[in-house]
Amino acid sequence: MPDFKEEIRKRVAAIQLSPPREAEIVEELSQHLDDQYEQSLNRGATEEEAYGAAVASLAESDLLARELKRVERRVQQEPLTLGNEKTNLLGDLLQDLRFGIRMLLKNPGFTIVAIIALALGIGANTAIFSVVNTVLLRPLPYKNPERLVMVWEENSKQGFPRDTPAAANYIDWRDQNHVFEGMAAMTEISFNLTGTGEPERIDGQRVSGNLFQLLGVEPQLGRAFLPEEDRAGANHVVILSHGLWQRRFGSDSTIIGRPINLDSQSFTVVGVMPKGFQFPSRTDQLWVPIAFTANEAGQRGNHYLEVIARVKPGISLEQAQAEMTTIATRLQQQYPQTNTSIGAVITPLHEHVVGNIKPALLVLLGAVAFVLLIACANVANLLLARAAVRQKEIALRLALGASRSRMTRQFLTESVLLAALGGGVGLVLSIVGLDLLKRFIPPNISQVQAIGIDTKVLLFTILVSIATGLLFGLAPAAQMASSNLNDTLKEGGRDSAGGHHGNRIRGFLIISEVAVSFLLLIGAGLLINSFVRLRHVDPGFRAESLLTMKIALPETRYPDKQRRSLFFDELLRRVGGLPGVASAAVATNLPLTSTGNSVGVAIEGRADPAPDRVPIVITRVVSPDYFKTMSIPLLEGRVFTEGDKADSPSAVVISETTARLFWPGENALGKHLKVGRSTSPNPWMTVVGVVKDVRQYELIIEPKPQMYLPYQQAEFFEPRALVVRTNFDPLSLAATARQTVWEIDKDQPVSDISSMEEIVSDSVARQRFSMLLLGVFAGLALVLAAVGIYGVMSYSVAQQTREIGIRMALGAQRSDVLKMTVGQGLRLVLTGVAIGLAAAFVLTRVMATLLFGVSPTDPLTFIGISIVLIGVAVLASYIPALRATRIDPMFALRYQ
Amino acid sequence: MLDRELKKGSAELLILSLVEDRPRHGYDIGQLIELRSRGVLRFNVASLYPLLYRLEKRGWIRGRWVEKAGQRRRRYYRLTPTGKRVLAAQRDGWQEFVGAINRITGIAHA
Repeated sequence: MPDFKEEIRKRVAAIQLSPPREAEIVEELSQHLDDQYEQSLNRGATEEEAYGAAVASLAESDLLARELKRVERRVQQEPLTLGNEKTNLLGDLLQDLRFGIRMLLKNPGFTIVAIIALALGIGANTAIFSVVNTVLLRPLPYKNPERLVMVWEENSKQGFPRDTPAAANYIDWRDQNHVFEGMAAMTEISFNLTGTGEPERIDGQRVSGNLFQLLGVEPQLGRAFLPEEDRAGANHVVILSHGLWQRRFGSDSTIIGRPINLDSQSFTVVGVMPKGFQFPSRTDQLWVPIAFTANEAGQRGNHYLEVIARVKPGISLEQAQAEMTTIATRLQQQYPQTNTSIGAVITPLHEHVVGNIKPALLVLLGAVAFVLLIACANVANLLLARAAVRQKEIALRLALGASRSRMTRQFLTESVLLAALGGGVGLVLSIVGLDLLKRFIPPNISQVQAIGIDTKVLLFTILVSIATGLLFGLAPAAQMASSNLNDTLKEGGRDSAGGHHGNRIRGFLIISEVAVSFLLLIGAGLLINSFVRLRHVDPGFRAESLLTMKIALPETRYPDKQRRSLFFDELLRRVGGLPGVASAAVATNLPLTSTGNSVGVAIEGRADPAPDRVPIVITRVVSPDYFKTMSIPLLEGRVFTEGDKADSPSAVVISETTARLFWPGENALGKHLKVGRSTSPNPWMTVVGVVKDVRQYELIIEPKPQMYLPYQQAEFFEPRALVVRTNFDPLSLAATARQTVWEIDKDQPVSDISSMEEIVSDSVARQRFSMLLLGVFAGLALVLAAVGIYGVMSYSVAQQTREIGIRMALGAQRSDVLKMTVGQGLRLVLTGVAIGLAAAFVLTRVMATLLFGVSPTDPLTFIGISIVLIGVAVLASYIPALRATRIDPMFALRYQ
Repeated sequence: MLDRELKKGSAELLILSLVEDRPRHGYDIGQLIELRSRGVLRFNVASLYPLLYRLEKRGWIRGRWVEKAGQRRRRYYRLTPTGKRVLAAQRDGWQEFVGAINRITGIAHA
């Protein structure tokens, strides 16, 4: 039989149909001509006659083309690619992109859902990564920061693995080592700044003269300290922070060389640091030379310095550590009285700066990665469902010779395009999210303000988007690659809906989604649980309605205890008389402010223990009404009264833990304690009362031994904090209270005004940060997983419409159908929960440091979360199942 | 053979009618038109198929490749629900038109 295809092709070539369409037309028309030819032969025509008649019915050479063109011209054909020897990567890519964009525009619903899911996932990753980038990855803003280390006294025997060094030890380290370019010491100091505007309490640091040179940071104005200024007597010079210079001195550049008034003494301004310089702490506003006095330089028992050093080039941290250990061992032998248990340990500066927040950030980074995985699984599911619909198209293209690799590339291009759009929207979300996020980052984390989107973050987002696109594009691509061409084409009009292979992939995706969100929910559950327990910890006092402020009397104006007592007596008398005030007191330090003093004590009647066994007691010097004001319950004896005067017998109030540890099984009242060794000249103090334990440093730290001394008697530590119990909102009293201070002394600064509740709340800022964020991400994961389950179940119910119809026609009850469908969903979810459970048992251990009072495998959390997740999953598969039962059996049977 | 314009105007109606009761392929349709019109109406390939494609594009008929054992696959066209409505309307219109012509030309009942 002659082949008419060529004749037809010749006639339609001019209109340039898409190759598959042309192939289809040629096939259909040539069949027609074949039939016609055969019939002509049957009727007795010769082969030439039959051939002529057939070709004649194609009519004039251009009629077919003309007619076809009118019909086909307006049909938008998707570009199809026939297998081509020559590959044109760029051309293919452009074609794929164009095609991809058209596909996305054609399915706006699908596109929007996918982009939202991806944007949430990528946005969360970008936001957390920009925090990690700034806080953990960005080098500290100093010269060669990787060579900067902190040097600590190592005193693990007394529970201080990293203790602040004593001055004499620091000086020995500095002078004896050969591994550091330089070493500098710092300690906090505060001054009352007076003379210009309101008196103000300014926090700063006493620092070694070489600190700035050691860090490699130059002042913006003026100069750093000179070596000769780091000597007692020559040290009345000051360097200002950029902030203080702007705020208090109007950015006046002539300030250099001028005197300012600190604690009623004159200091010459020699420099102003550049903007953003904050070392060692965010709150430091000025620096003065540390200039040890001879007395200070000889102390080994008073541990209060922070020491930083720069390792010489070519010296490793291990070598530096080894040298410091050698020196410390030598000092132990040289000074057995003080140094028996004291070693030396170095830690990289970076670790010191970020150490606190690092575990939380890493957990969060892991959490957002999981959220993104879930989003990926969802989008992969959507793509799979769509790929099932497009199977015909794909099979036809393959049949026409498109290579599978070319098709895979096109699929992946589409998914990466989708991911890129998601990434773009995610980036916008993360910018908004970061602003919110910054409010919850504990303020003591360095460089919070510097957190933002930089090129590194952008690069991260781009990489994550591409990786995401490849990841979720793989599932449909894999399915396509493994599909059997013949089966697909043979199945006629019925959508095979991905077939068994597709179902397996979808099932797998659901199981992973459930497992991952289970993990996240467990993490969040544990943190929430910890936080609730933390907030329920009894701090030992009542924080409501307490106003607090810091009033630090400068030594220059109040050089002795009498003058200070006069001020405080007058202050308490006046504040106590203010309307709405129930009581008022002063104390050296308030609980939960991470500040305070501890002393070693001797117990009467017992031999002094070895120096490293001396009991350490947290010490607070307070006014008589302190216990009443703070509502610290008295357990035994009495609290201080006006009678505990400077010349009356020394009294001490101790905490229950102190009583239990020092005098187990005995009545502590009437017993005697002394600050220092039993041979020291300090007076023996009589225990007059026992009060409940107070959490002094952090809520999570178990109470340690504590004692209170009356402020009229205590020789060291003067009160700096005023605390007022009010009958209303404590902060509304702030202005009046401050005015009262100024009525007594117009030059006395008042700072750190806040309510006690704020202090308690700030003390758990780190925990709140982790909890809130992980909670948000886990919630996001739950929603995404629910959407995913719902989508897959709807899809699977749609696929089973026929089966359901048959079952119902054969008499199945609605409840049976419901059971069947929900059962299918439940099986996947339970598998996911089981895997999640197993993973959680292993993975929650990394969170152990973030937890409080909850075991990483807390059964209640595990069970609760399982129930929540299974409940949500059942609901998500119940809705499509319910719809399945409403199917009209007749419709279902006809349904293809 | 009738004038080409007239043929074209009625061709849609013819095709829709032929695929009304069951799906047919293009050659079948062409044959039936010729057969039932006793040779008066005849479509050649160049005009029949573009017409089929146009009807398909309008959504009145739908073509589908069907494979039968031992045969080449063929494209069968069937009437869609829209096509069904169009056919009903065209039939009425055609009857009206033929009736009007007859009344004027006095062919039927003089």
